[in-house]
Amino acid sequence: MRRTLNTALSFIIVFAVCCSPRAEEPLLTDQAVATAWADMTLYVTKNTPANSPTYASRALAYIGLTMYESIVHGYPSHASMIRQLNGLDSLPQPTHHSYDWLISLNAGQARILKRLYNQTSDDNKKKIDSLEAYFVQRLAYSRDEQVVSRSAAYGQSVAEAIFEWSKSDGGHRGYLANFDKTFHRDKTPGCWEPPLYGQAISHRPLHPKWGENRNFLLANKELQLPLMIRYNQDKLSDYYKECHAVYEKNRILTQDEKEAALWWGDDPGETFTPPGHSYYVATLVIRKANPALIKCAETYARVGLAVGDAFINCWKWKYHFYSERPSSFITKHIDERWESFWPDPPFPAFPSGHATQAAAVAKVLESLYGPEFEFTDDAHAKRPRDRFRNVDFKPRSFKTFWAVAEETANSRFYGGIHSPQDNRVGLEEGAKIGNNVNRLNWQKEPMYADAKK
Amino acid sequence: MLMQRSNTCAFVFVSVCTFACFLCSAQTPFVNVTEASGIRHQFVVYEGMFGGGACVTDVNNDGWEDVYLTGGMADDALYLNNKDGTFKNIFESSGLTDTKKFVTQGVATADINKDGWLDLFITTITERDSARQIPRAENLVFLNNGNLTFTNATKQYGLNELQSFSTGVCFGDFDLDGFTDAYVGNYFFGYEGSLTYINDSDIVKSSQTAAPYLLRNVEGKRFEEVSAAYGINFKGFGFGGSFTDFDRDNDLDLFINNDFGYKAMPNVLLQNEYPDARLVERAKELNLDLPINAMGTAIGDYDNNGLMDYYVTNIRFNRFMVNHGKGKPFTEESKAKGLDFVSISWGANFSDFDNDKDLDLFVANGDLNPNGVPLADYYFTNANNTFKENARKVGLNDYGIGRGSVVFDMDNDGDLDLLVVNQKAVLEYPVATFTNLFRNDSSIGNWIKIKLEGINSDKNGIGAMIEVTADGVTMIREIDGGSSHLSQNSLMAHFGLGDATTVTSVKVIWPGGKVQQVTEQNANQVLVIKEIPDEEETSLAIIISVLSIIVVSVLYLLMRKNKTMKRKQDVNPILK
Repeated sequence: MRRTLNTALSFIIVFAVCCSPRAEEPLLTDQAVATAWADMTLYVTKNTPANSPTYASRALAYIGLTMYESIVHGYPSHASMIRQLNGLDSLPQPTHHSYDWLISLNAGQARILKRLYNQTSDDNKKKIDSLEAYFVQRLAYSRDEQVVSRSAAYGQSVAEAIFEWSKSDGGHRGYLANFDKTFHRDKTPGCWEPPLYGQAISHRPLHPKWGENRNFLLANKELQLPLMIRYNQDKLSDYYKECHAVYEKNRILTQDEKEAALWWGDDPGETFTPPGHSYYVATLVIRKANPALIKCAETYARVGLAVGDAFINCWKWKYHFYSERPSSFITKHIDERWESFWPDPPFPAFPSGHATQAAAVAKVLESLYGPEFEFTDDAHAKRPRDRFRNVDFKPRSFKTFWAVAEETANSRFYGGIHSPQDNRVGLEEGAKIGNNVNRLNWQKEPMYADAKK
Repeated sequence: MLMQRSNTCAFVFVSVCTFACFLCSAQTPFVNVTEASGIRHQFVVYEGMFGGGACVTDVNNDGWEDVYLTGGMADDALYLNNKDGTFKNIFESSGLTDTKKFVTQGVATADINKDGWLDLFITTITERDSARQIPRAENLVFLNNGNLTFTNATKQYGLNELQSFSTGVCFGDFDLDGFTDAYVGNYFFGYEGSLTYINDSDIVKSSQTAAPYLLRNVEGKRFEEVSAAYGINFKGFGFGGSFTDFDRDNDLDLFINNDFGYKAMPNVLLQNEYPDARLVERAKELNLDLPINAMGTAIGDYDNNGLMDYYVTNIRFNRFMVNHGKGKPFTEESKAKGLDFVSISWGANFSDFDNDKDLDLFVANGDLNPNGVPLADYYFTNANNTFKENARKVGLNDYGIGRGSVVFDMDNDGDLDLLVVNQKAVLEYPVATFTNLFRNDSSIGNWIKIKLEGINSDKNGIGAMIEVTADGVTMIREIDGGSSHLSQNSLMAHFGLGDATTVTSVKVIWPGGKVQQVTEQNANQVLVIKEIPDEEETSLAIIISVLSIIVVSVLYLLMRKNKTMKRKQDVNPILK
């Protein structure tokens, strides 16, 4: 993935430096500009230290929203999210002059990405600038200079306004406090414990207050607390059975299940995180369906808002229940020597963040493209084989969006880091979150406002 | 011992164990003499982080070994051996108080400037009093003045430029120029020079993996960072390493411990390509690229086959990597050898604690602070090349939060004693957790200790290989430049001899391959072997040739007279 992106980026940069716009250059499509920015977004997400699924989900929400808001006024069919999102009361409005919306999108994406990833390296910021400059060069030569600068300025002003709004949501510069050093909770039976075979160095849990962040949708803020099967040591209890199921599954993993476990692992230290993976799926769908620019932007906005709220709700519930990982229970009550196939993440278990965000995104994509959609996910295709686990990264094919969500959830069960109920409830609640995103008034007239289910 | 994760259970469990221990505590080979010895020490962690270590040194060259202990957020300590079983902390008067400014971690000793006095290298993770946005600081070098004081030579040795989050340090003369070099493990991303303006990018980068330091000692005057020049190009969550000659080709290789090896850099084995100035990574092909939370290493030849084996500590499952000779991959044999226990381990030391000619193994265990589950240390007795856990039986099942551990003969009685650094518990903890000194009172078996005096080589023979043969058994030791967890054992090589009252042979292989041998030595003594200087080697060769001619002539004459005579083959001078 990294190599693909690097190659793609250097290709683009070489283009930008060496070539002036000529007739023989490949035609630059609207979709190519939108997806190039999604690729850049995920490149920066992956290649910025102190990466976390929580912060990434938030950034994707604002970046997707910026893409949408920077062009929505060019499309009479579509409605802005002003006063639809929780606390988004105003954004800069275009004047009566003419705009090039692709130039506005281009400028807005570059600006919001650099603002939200202020912590990324200077090299990455240069990459963002290069991509922006390349598109300006490709798009601007046939345009009136005033239109170009007006459009770019408008895109930037939308990005700045959204960034200003983001500052008050509770997650601003959240990368500086991934693990709160003052956090402490007294131990109770079944409570979360720092993992011994873990993904993170910190013994404290990730972003314990993330659930207090401002939701993007009021409807998601108002979702009820889900039900959890409570801790019970009794061998006949449902809780014991949940953990025992994880233990049993880990003994009989098939190669395909191991591959799924690693494919959807999306460790923030090495990849673009689970919400980044969802954003990448959106790109794959756009590349295949090739919709109009506004639908590209709407796709990224809906996916962004879905993962943004999924992580806020999920984190609220995780820190409400503060439940242990299966490994804690299994090593105490089933098998002292047990080790999960995949290392434990540094936060409580219930419900699964993977499942919650994947279900929210599946509902959003179903609504936009229909539930049946065949595609192949190549997100990690270039990663080297995991030689310690003897697992390859092979592209995975799907026929429905819900199948993606289910596999994402199941992969955590295969990894031995989530019990069935973590995933089941994650999927259920995530679907509600996604459906709420679909219920926003994206279209002014009900053209294809067909929010399924 | 079953690892419980609940405090209440653990407390009951410990109480029962303590009681059981009390019942059988009448005669254990090891006796906790901490209080009587005057050592009172606790390592205090910085924000739940790591540490600490100890090193065995001899500050005043009196043959009674002293101990330096890092304190983390607390003051370090330098315990001078009073030769009567007690120690005196001379830290405050020793010129070492500059360390108070820093959160110290690991420590090692060597005669860096070859003036005959053992100096100190102390690693740090940050400054103690400042809540730095990015925890980083320089490592510290203190030169021994020879009068129980030290001079801070950090700047002189060029270390103030290397601002790092460092863990373990070890010494070894990898370029064979006679000046002992160092390897420093770094945990988090380091910076050169001072950071005047810190932005968000600097801050997030600071939690990333770090490149280690390979410090070439330039004629005893300064350290030069040469990792890139030697081909080291990895980054990891480093816990330091050990110089060791795993392939027995007479130069020092480097075995490196990395934390979180399953998601960042695993353990690394760098093979020394001397005389080429290059260290080549070989861990992958030799199966030493352990993808674990490697905390420390014990080095020793457990089966006396002439090859060093490596016991690597970890969270939950430690690894016992057995050496099968040049080019052959190591095999993991903890289960096969009876070392298959579940705990959280840090320091580890191979030593012949019961003087029976094979290496036993001590392992220091401790929970991840601030979790408060007491975990007992391990003591594995070697019997016919398999191990049996006997910590409670021998009096070593301490439940403190163990970290670094070192072995030395505190009372010069010929059996090896143990010092184990314990952390102070951040939260409540059911038992005492202070650094412990365990005196070995077993007084069984004969022994010999070898002390090296280098001339062209390191002054104390760090990295030299010693082969002792007694009763037909040949045992090997390397002079430790730093091992265990953030620590360094005695600079003397100790060999248990069992019933043997003499050793047939003592062979010293100095770094570079120069061999010195003495034969027929009495047991139960400290044998000092002084290096024969290189310059004299050529003239020595001439002398030997001339002598040989004379001997042949004499033999010829004697044979003619039909007489025989026995002669010892000692040609090398020995200084005792």
